[in-house]
Amino acid sequence: MLASLAGARGGMTVPSAQAQAQAPAVTKRRTFGPRGGDWATRLGAIAVLLLIWEFLAPGWNPLIIRPPSAIARAFVELVESGELQTALVISLRAFVAGLAIATVIGVLLGIVTGRWRFAYNALDPVVSALYSVPSVALIPLIGFIFKFQGDAPRVAAVALFCVFPVLINTQQGVRNVDRGLLEVARAFNTSERRLWTDVIIPSSLPFMLAGIRLSIGRGLIGMIVAEFFIGLVGLGYLIIQYGNVFRIDRMFVPVIVVAALGIVFMGLVQWLEGRVAPWLRREH
Amino acid sequence: MSGERIVVEAARKHYGAVPVFEALDLAVRDGETVCILGPSGCGKTTLLRTMHGLVQLDGGRILVDGTTVTGPRRNVAMVFQHFGLMPWKRTRDNVAYGVELAGLSQATVTERVDRYIALVGLQGFERHYPYQLSGGMQQRVGLARALALEPNVLLMDEPFGALDALTREVLQDELLRIYQRAHVDRDGRAAPPAMVFITHSIEESIALGDRIVVLSERPARVREILSVDIPRPRTVASVVAHPRFVELRDRCWRLLRERAAA
Repeated sequence: MLASLAGARGGMTVPSAQAQAQAPAVTKRRTFGPRGGDWATRLGAIAVLLLIWEFLAPGWNPLIIRPPSAIARAFVELVESGELQTALVISLRAFVAGLAIATVIGVLLGIVTGRWRFAYNALDPVVSALYSVPSVALIPLIGFIFKFQGDAPRVAAVALFCVFPVLINTQQGVRNVDRGLLEVARAFNTSERRLWTDVIIPSSLPFMLAGIRLSIGRGLIGMIVAEFFIGLVGLGYLIIQYGNVFRIDRMFVPVIVVAALGIVFMGLVQWLEGRVAPWLRREH
Repeated sequence: MSGERIVVEAARKHYGAVPVFEALDLAVRDGETVCILGPSGCGKTTLLRTMHGLVQLDGGRILVDGTTVTGPRRNVAMVFQHFGLMPWKRTRDNVAYGVELAGLSQATVTERVDRYIALVGLQGFERHYPYQLSGGMQQRVGLARALALEPNVLLMDEPFGALDALTREVLQDELLRIYQRAHVDRDGRAAPPAMVFITHSIEESIALGDRIVVLSERPARVREILSVDIPRPRTVASVVAHPRFVELRDRCWRLLRERAAA
């Protein structure tokens, strides 16, 4: 899973940190990363899709589908009126705050439950229950708790959507620390503090980052749904607003912006991974 | 000959109802390399772990420098079959790991790290991560990490078992060279290090060992202790060419096969 999420990056390749520890000899494989041709294919596929859309759209009811060119025009209109920027700032604020809170809580609880059996047993039923309930079902409750006022309920919604992937992944990371390395640590008389800083945290870091990546998609859902039901602001409200008046072209603009946000944040976490975990320079 | 570094007395270990070894007696002297040779799964590695207190005995006792082993101590260092390097540490930091934990001054740590990186021939690779090193080089890092502690006892758990045949032979030669150097380097020291080397390779045990302890299958007992009377300094090539080599190899083979057939 980690390897598949590692995304496109250049350089040498190894199967995985754990496998590497047991690898008998050199495991440098040929680079399978991004090449110029890959990007041409990706962009080409999008261009073809947009062209087909552009030519097929006029044949449909304009209340249901509009061509990309109309959406592009709507984008310019919304930017000129300032509506899009205002909505984007409100949405982003809630999303970033919610994701940050979820990361802190998820990592802390993940470490605690991953390391101590008591904490795991105490928290697991609650976590499993909350994770099984579709988070959307809890949105009205969050609204009531925070009295439908200000950023707080939307931040909380994003945090709720984001926290479980981070928590569960961190927990898995902490539990999956290579037992061989734990023995090495013991053999060298490692103190409890050094055990955390030298072994457990670095070894679960990739799991935490994968959890954050998973939570980005969920967090964007939480953000939009909270704006539908709680805030009536931001990108979610733009969708509702223009959907209600059948301005499908304008309705599509925030949808595309949300998609772009997802791509940008995924890339950001991936970049962060390269910075904080340079030993993971490997390819999918 | 000087005194005994490691004494194993009537050691017994069970996993549940399954005996791993029983009534095991063994002594390793100062500056001596003892190879422990036995069939796969006979409990060699478990025995080595008990010598470092990573696994507790069910009976008998193990003494290192006259005191009973209860847990890992600073004057004993271990080299692992799976290398046991931290993938997130560069060569320097991996080598420094053990010395840092031993609570030595920063200056001593730096000096030791430099010296042992040079000794195992890893200059120029100080800033590499393990994934950027070949298996042989990774084990050099593991070796430097253990040597940097300047231990009284070096415990080697099939350190070359995961390497290809060619790399293994190169590292066996390196170990012979390093170990002979280490003895010389320690002129002033009262306590030359002893080495316990676990292997299932007969050739390796003859090339490296002063004595070979041949274990039986589970439950492991000492089948026979052979003296390797091939003079040092040695290289793998000089050992293989030595007239005693073939006799020793055949003796080991017979001891191992008798058991396997029984």
